[in-house]
Formats: sequence, C-alpha cells, structure tokens
Amino acid sequence: MINLNPNIGGSPNSIKGVWEHGSAPSKINADVKKSDFADTVRAVEKHLAKVDDLQQSSDIFIKDLLSGKNEDVISAVSAAAKADMSFKLLVSVRNKLIEAYKQTMNMPL
Amino acid sequence: MEINDTFSPIDIAISGLRAQDKNIKLISSNVANAQTTDSGKGEPYRRLEAVFETDGDGIGGVSLEEIAADMSSFPRVLKPGHPDADEDGYVLMPNVNLPIEMINLNIATRAYQANAAILKRYQQMMETTLELLR
Repeated sequence: MINLNPNIGGSPNSIKGVWEHGSAPSKINADVKKSDFADTVRAVEKHLAKVDDLQQSSDIFIKDLLSGKNEDVISAVSAAAKADMSFKLLVSVRNKLIEAYKQTMNMPL
Repeated sequence: MEINDTFSPIDIAISGLRAQDKNIKLISSNVANAQTTDSGKGEPYRRLEAVFETDGDGIGGVSLEEIAADMSSFPRVLKPGHPDADEDGYVLMPNVNLPIEMINLNIATRAYQANAAILKRYQQMMETTLELLR
C-alpha cells in the first residue's frame, strides 16, 4: 500500500541517464524532468490519504473490539501495527521536508 | 516499503499468531474432553490435531489446512456402573493423553510467542530504517 517513490518526478531510467558516462550534457537536460519541492509536497499529500485509511481501519477494529462487535484481537493488532508503521514513515518524511525547507529559507542570499 | 502485501513480515507473523491461536483452541478442546465418553456419534471423544499448510508457494504465511482426527484406538477402562459401559463393564475412553496435550500446549505457546517476537522485531527494524531519515 505504501510505495513512496524517492525518485519523484523522474522515472528510474532517466535518473540512470544522469550517471551514464559519455552522454552529452545537453542530452541529459532533455532526458531528466526536473522535480520541484511542490511536487514532493504533493506526493506526501497523496500518501497522507493512504496513511489515513490505515488509521481509520485500525480505529474501527479497536472500536469494534471494545464494543464487543468483533472479538478478533489479532486483526486489531495487525491493523494497529500497519497504521503505526505507515504513520511513522509519514512523520519522518514530513520532518525531513520541513527541515529541508527551513534550511533553504535560511540560506543567505 | 510495501506493508499490505501477503509477503510482508507483519502479515506472515499475524498468520502465525492466528494459526497457533486455532491450535491452542484444539488443544483446549482435547483437554476439556479428556473424559468425554459420549461425543454424540456413538463413540468417545476423538482427539483432534491441527495440520498446517503454507500460504502461497514457498514463501508466505501459514494457515490451518485441516483439523485431523486422531484415529488411534480408544483405551478400554473397567467401569461397570457407567451408563456407557458394555456388557462386560468396560467403557471406551477418549484417546486423549493429558501429558501429550500439555507438551503440545507448550509448543503452541512458544510458537505464538515467537511469532509475536517477529512482529515486534520487524517494527523495531522499520524504526531503525526510519532513523536514517533524520
């Protein structure tokens, strides 16, 4: 479900093209589609919905468990573990992005 | 980081927990019915055993393939006053051996703990990976 592509805005082939020796510089620029910070933030936004889905399903499992509707503790544990992992990933990426933004903004011009 | 496919360690560990949960259910059924002379089928309670199989081909979780009945013979015990006794006064008792069930319970509990440990350790490993982002 979680598939956060680190190569946002460029296919792996075009990234590979950058590091290939012997290709002309002008060709490299034509190959690689530049990605900006906004693209990355948008990707995180899309990912946010997936994390939210996992959190919601974990919530439903725990509520059903407490209300006695469902007695499957193991399913609740599984949903909670997945929600926890995806949320931690999201928070880590978000922190990294904020840090990068701050560093850029503090750059002396 | 795929966490929702069937090959992820989380799902495999969860399937292990589920399988051992059912195994423990069977063992408790065996222990509870260790003295049941009438199972409703005209014979004493027959011991049940869990048979597991792998999900998918080769790598994957575990699931309960079938609940197999232990076809070993029932021990005959002399109980002349028992309503289920035959004309010689013998009663067929279930083929449940309590010491065996206790050992199986130990094995099932340890397997359950091992799967829980895998789940916990995998979460720790993912946290270690995320530490690299900091």
